[in-house]
Amino acid sequence: MIWLVMIACGLLTFATRFVMFSGLAPRRLPDWLEDALGFVPIAVLTAIIVPAVITGPEGTLFIAGNSRLPAAVIAVSVALLTRSVLATIATGLAALWCLEWFVY
Amino acid sequence: MPSPIPTSRGQEFWTGVRQELPLQLGVAPFGLVFGVLGMASGLSALQTILLSSILFGGASQVVFAQLWGAGVPAPVVGASVSVVNLRHALYSASIAPYLRSLPLRWRIPLAYLLTDEAYAVTIHRLKTQPASPFQHYHLLGTGLTLWICWQITTITGVVFGATIPETLSLGFAIPLTFIALVAPAIRRRADLAACATAALISIVGQPLPWKSWIILAAIGGIAVGYIVKRWTSPGDSA
Repeated sequence: MIWLVMIACGLLTFATRFVMFSGLAPRRLPDWLEDALGFVPIAVLTAIIVPAVITGPEGTLFIAGNSRLPAAVIAVSVALLTRSVLATIATGLAALWCLEWFVY
Repeated sequence: MPSPIPTSRGQEFWTGVRQELPLQLGVAPFGLVFGVLGMASGLSALQTILLSSILFGGASQVVFAQLWGAGVPAPVVGASVSVVNLRHALYSASIAPYLRSLPLRWRIPLAYLLTDEAYAVTIHRLKTQPASPFQHYHLLGTGLTLWICWQITTITGVVFGATIPETLSLGFAIPLTFIALVAPAIRRRADLAACATAALISIVGQPLPWKSWIILAAIGGIAVGYIVKRWTSPGDSA
């Protein structure tokens, strides 16, 4: 079962990458669609980031004593300053470890 | 000084490889973490490794592993993965004018290799350097470089994942990777609106079944971003 779903998801993903190469689609996307698709990365990635930072195991809000929260704030600052994935991961993880081991 | 015009297949290909390599500093840790997390979320070693070549898209693989691990029904998994990967249609549209005349045996592998980082590097070459009959070898170079790096780091993550202690909270590297991508991308009021909407829905939607808050937050964020963009610059349709 899982293999079928993996392959189906793979085909869907390939289709989004191939659609405009296929010769079947219109030569360019309509403006509204292009505008809307431009917000996909921000919307999707935010929807993954936020719960991973501020919810506990059962999906409940987890704020007080949550060391992931300040670590994420530090990571956002590093991301804005350096635009580097590696620097953001390194600083964010280091901040998390420091907070967990020394503060909380 | 303008760089020399690449004139051969090899030059285009190796230029692509060389220009793509520095970006692997961001790709490699993500691949490692995915390898570790795929296993942690209940996929087998083989499933985790093959997901990296079947889907070949980091964010969608994370979503797939999370949803499958949580027992979400297959149609919701498929819909969520598709929404995550919708952005690829944008890259496809933007790069298609340069590749449309190629035969299918080129267009199929190049579409498969079309990821964020390969697109970013190759579209820059296509737009700033003179056209060449071999320019598609550039995308082959960037795409293949990323593909190889992604497979190697996924496998490495799977192999060494079991030896990494839980206390290192390596799973936190996933939201950190996405923070590194999203934070610098928020430039306009509409971007901020899309981000805030997705954040809000992803929190209040937590009690919903099948982790459907992922897809709802994505659609909500896209809709609000689009509306705010139209509202703040009504004349600008590009």
